[in-house]
Amino acid sequence: MSQYKIIFTGPVGAGKTTAINSISDLPPIKTDAAASDMTKSKKSATTVAMDYGVMNLPGGEKLHLYGTPGQERFDFMWDILVTGGIGLVLLLDNTRADPFVDMKFFLDAFSTFIGDTAVAVGVTQMDVSAKPTIDDYQVQLSGVGLKLPVFAVDARVRNDVSILIQSLLYSLDPGLEE
Amino acid sequence: MDKNNHPLKVALHGMEERTSKTMVMYLQGPCRGAAMVVNDNDADIDVFDADVVGIGSLMAEHRVKKPYRPVIALSLRDGELGYVLYVKKPVKTDDMLAALDKAGVLIKQNEHNTAQSIVEKSDNVSLKTFVLDNDERKKTAKHEAAMQLNEKGFNAFIGNVAGLDVNDPAQLGNANYDPKNYFQSHVESAFKISRELGDIMQLNSGWSPVIIFPKDNEVWLDADDKQLRAFSGLVIAHTLNEKISTTPLTFESSSVSRSLEKFYTMDAFLWKVACWASKGRYPNHIDITQPVYLKSWPNFTRLLITPHALRISALLIKEPRTLANVAEVLNIKPQYVFVFISAACALGLTGQARRVADVLIAPSTEIKENKNKGFLSRVMSKLRG
Repeated sequence: MSQYKIIFTGPVGAGKTTAINSISDLPPIKTDAAASDMTKSKKSATTVAMDYGVMNLPGGEKLHLYGTPGQERFDFMWDILVTGGIGLVLLLDNTRADPFVDMKFFLDAFSTFIGDTAVAVGVTQMDVSAKPTIDDYQVQLSGVGLKLPVFAVDARVRNDVSILIQSLLYSLDPGLEE
Repeated sequence: MDKNNHPLKVALHGMEERTSKTMVMYLQGPCRGAAMVVNDNDADIDVFDADVVGIGSLMAEHRVKKPYRPVIALSLRDGELGYVLYVKKPVKTDDMLAALDKAGVLIKQNEHNTAQSIVEKSDNVSLKTFVLDNDERKKTAKHEAAMQLNEKGFNAFIGNVAGLDVNDPAQLGNANYDPKNYFQSHVESAFKISRELGDIMQLNSGWSPVIIFPKDNEVWLDADDKQLRAFSGLVIAHTLNEKISTTPLTFESSSVSRSLEKFYTMDAFLWKVACWASKGRYPNHIDITQPVYLKSWPNFTRLLITPHALRISALLIKEPRTLANVAEVLNIKPQYVFVFISAACALGLTGQARRVADVLIAPSTEIKENKNKGFLSRVMSKLRG
């Protein structure tokens, strides 16, 4: 049986672990380590290997959900993670110093994978920092010729994460029926 | 340099324990032992993660303590500090080795050089500061998750026009509406004025006033969805038009304390108002013989999602199509396309193709199936279940 997976990526604290937790049928397997340096100012634990969750489908099929490590340093691990992936969910933290730099970084880093599949962008923490707006993100993307689904997302809310993934799947095939 | 016999000694900063362990392996493995991680006191080189919160001050602190020690920074951004050797993320082994080589040269130079230290001006990484706005978090309607309508709930929630079947091809010509006859056009106009002036405005309509806060992209209305739906669906052109006005809000009025749960984003508000005016019809300024395109995806997690709206967006974002073509390709009733287009038009997210090529080259009525369609459909069922 084929293994299908969706990759969740984004900077530290963007909500990848939480988003997987919101949508997974099993408690996600986390490989969090206690943050012992400045990462601590963002969150008490940070993901240094990967997160894993799963959606069980009728007939025993599974959709695997993998979260990349937040630290941009571990790019070599990303290549392993995206192999066989059907799409990318990019989560961005709106309270970061420059979320547009983050967005560009991750879109560039995964450009080959995105070119072969699709990507949906979720912006978290908008209830803490309302700016930049979703329109601002779209303007940035438009500047590089991209028209991607970009939604405000509360990673704790299953419905938000679900809609983000739905947009990803419809980007892959608008013919999918509701 | 014999990297294996004389590895450079580096101290890591801005990395927690497990990350540091991975860096140790990275330097030993891909970097072929060119450097080894040691304690800060024993190091020849400092390696910082330049994207971590507060790293700017830590780098400046180290620079004061160890002015001659070479610094390597792993960064998403282009470097700004002259004394730092920047390695762009994602870190490529060749770049890392080149930076280590340069650092090695600097170490040797420093051993023979008694020049005074030049302490660069501390350029702290600019940190975004924001005040946690507790009021913002209490604006529950503004941040609430989207409502996803299915076909069964459409007529009950969106409504329809008595005596008109918008899905009947013979009645297609009549399946439009003029937004000017509805509350929708007044909301659009008030939003435009308010945004242009940058002032808080009040839309007066003989009903509950709508207060518009353009800088925060918010409206405030003391009414529930049921009341708003009823008012938005009324033809008011001949009864209320003269009573409707948009006026600046006085400073005193704008400062009045308001119930936080009655704030909405301007887009979400107008989107709903347009859906309820449309009732499954398309706006009359759309030429249904011409293709329509979508400028960008709507922010669906904060909008009313009408049936098939995500599919329609995914299709129209790729290429312009006529509304009838969209309905045919997706095998859905035209009313679902019309109501989506009405709302997207109101937010300025659509345009109509005017190029001759767009009209001459009719888009296909078939779309390329994804090779995993069956599996994706089952995932979709689960998500919507």
